[in-house]
Amino acid sequence: MLEAIGSGLAALATPQAILFMFIGVIYGLVIGILPGLGGVVAMALLLPFTYGFEKAATLALLLGAHIATIWGDSVTSILFSVPGSAKGLALCFDGYPMTKQGQATRALAASATGALMGGIIGAVFLALCIPLIRPVILALGPSEYLIMALWGLTVIATFSEGSLIKGLIASVLGVLVAFVGTDVVTATPRFTFGIEFLMDGISFPVAMIGLFAVSEMMKLAIRGTPIVDRELVRETSTVWQGVKDAGSHWWLVVRSSFLGLWIGVLPGVGASVAGLAAYAQAVQTSSTPERFGKGAVEGVIAPDATMGANEGGGLMPTLAFGIPGGESMALLLVAFIGLGVVPGPDMLTKHLDLVFSMVWIIVIANIVVTVIGLAICPALARLPTLHANLMVPIVLSVCFVGAYATRGRIEDVVVAAVFGVLGYVMDKYRYSRANFVIGMVLAVMIERNLHISLTLYGDDFLLKRPIALAMLAFVVVTAALPFVRSWYRGKSRAAATTETGR
Amino acid sequence: MSRRAQENLAAVALLAVFAGVIVLCQDFGPRARMIPLPLGILGVVLTLIQIVWQNLRSTDELQMDMIAVPAPGVAAPNPETSPGAKPLAGRAPSWREEAAAFGIVAVLLALVLLLGPVPAVFLFTGGYFLFTRHYSLRAGLIYTAVFTAATYLLFFVALEIQPYHGMLAPIVDHFQ
Repeated sequence: MLEAIGSGLAALATPQAILFMFIGVIYGLVIGILPGLGGVVAMALLLPFTYGFEKAATLALLLGAHIATIWGDSVTSILFSVPGSAKGLALCFDGYPMTKQGQATRALAASATGALMGGIIGAVFLALCIPLIRPVILALGPSEYLIMALWGLTVIATFSEGSLIKGLIASVLGVLVAFVGTDVVTATPRFTFGIEFLMDGISFPVAMIGLFAVSEMMKLAIRGTPIVDRELVRETSTVWQGVKDAGSHWWLVVRSSFLGLWIGVLPGVGASVAGLAAYAQAVQTSSTPERFGKGAVEGVIAPDATMGANEGGGLMPTLAFGIPGGESMALLLVAFIGLGVVPGPDMLTKHLDLVFSMVWIIVIANIVVTVIGLAICPALARLPTLHANLMVPIVLSVCFVGAYATRGRIEDVVVAAVFGVLGYVMDKYRYSRANFVIGMVLAVMIERNLHISLTLYGDDFLLKRPIALAMLAFVVVTAALPFVRSWYRGKSRAAATTETGR
Repeated sequence: MSRRAQENLAAVALLAVFAGVIVLCQDFGPRARMIPLPLGILGVVLTLIQIVWQNLRSTDELQMDMIAVPAPGVAAPNPETSPGAKPLAGRAPSWREEAAAFGIVAVLLALVLLLGPVPAVFLFTGGYFLFTRHYSLRAGLIYTAVFTAATYLLFFVALEIQPYHGMLAPIVDHFQ
């Protein structure tokens, strides 16, 4: 095994592999920053260029680009509340408020460092656990996936901004919007009104571009001032502060990383769910949950650590069983075929050096992205100070072109505009946009796994799946925890007031 | 229109959407409507509770606007000491300002649909700079040209996304 670790690293020491890694990382950062385009697009566009090169160099290009998109996605979420792709959504909740408070440099640095730490934990775990994970994956079924999706929904209360009813209405609306299109279980067209375009459903990235980016630009156009006016709010944070934040919240990073690994290992559960679940656990385990959504640095660190570790987790079923953990891993499988490598048990015996090359690529690419990220943080933090008259036309134009580029369909531009108006109205009347998107992301997963569970195990499927039942108990406890804490704190405060009154 | 009336209008629109979902679900099979139908009913119930709730609260409690809420830990901006900044914080935007914001989105959408993304980006960005007079004509034109070229190169050359030529393209082709 030690020999494989050494030869895996040696394969990356060639000039071609080093060059490909840097090209991949820079390219991934640019793609990640563009709205609507994420790791999947980055890898898909690179695939045609990967044939005929060294195996390690090809994987360095693909994985390097994919890993760089993670932080690229976070940048626009933090600076403009514009998620680069679905997985960057959770970064908007606290990253953007931090930017508005003059803490953009700190948020970006914390995000980059969190992603690095998560990425390294994920890579180490990948190296150690490939032989052990098989029974765990096989023990889980649709019922357990259903409970995981329900866990994601527990974060709704956090974003309800004082009105739980409005928060719930927003999430119900989000779930219903996700059902537009052909039902994956019964093939019934739902809420399509006979429009062919709607048969494929509403694209998540396009909906998010509208809800967050377009509506934010509308607000900016009305306000007529920069997102951050330096005359009112000084940039008071530093890169070092962000690095220190990630270090001082090391336990949160570890927890979030293991969550990311876990979600990565489960086939079919996307990184967008990982980000939201990480945010939910950060809120639920915090002693001050009321700070979240208002600029808590933990709300930036947790999703990034989770998404960093998610890559290592996603590689595990891809390499060990040939089952892709997500869309990007499916593309990696295509690249494997092009390279003449067959994933599966053979991968762990005949191609162990290649497995360790990938572990090294994850570690090195994460380090390169973080070094570049920390170096450009202060410059990026100046972007929100640009005047509204420059930002509005440029960001709106990029959003509309990005919406078109997502699927190459002009109707998506109309969808982005409609969701932009919807996002503005929701924001104005305080119907949480975050809850809407959470509902949208989790709806399909909930419906699909509920149907499969009912078909396989019957109406009382929870009783027949003890792991799912235990997970449900965990979800109920973690969802109730903030309310119990808040009640207990209120009680203590009341007791203290009575004491002082005496 | 008062804030309460606006809130009621938004809630009634939501009620109509949820009621529409319930009606549309009747055409689906039992499995296809297993989740949307109960959710539609839940939506109607929640919205009715919201309508009752917001009409029982005082008007002051409805006078909250996301734009006007200052971020915690940040001093509220003082309009008198911030030259050049529109003192929006503390007041809701007027209907004219909101209509202008909707208009901006509508204009860009119309341009993209009619001309395709690249010419639309050029016209919209240039027009916006010209209209706001934030930059001189020369500077605005340079920024517009550079930004349009960057958009074209990045999306349509580097990423090889198939361009859309707009609804007017067939008419232009006809005359050519």
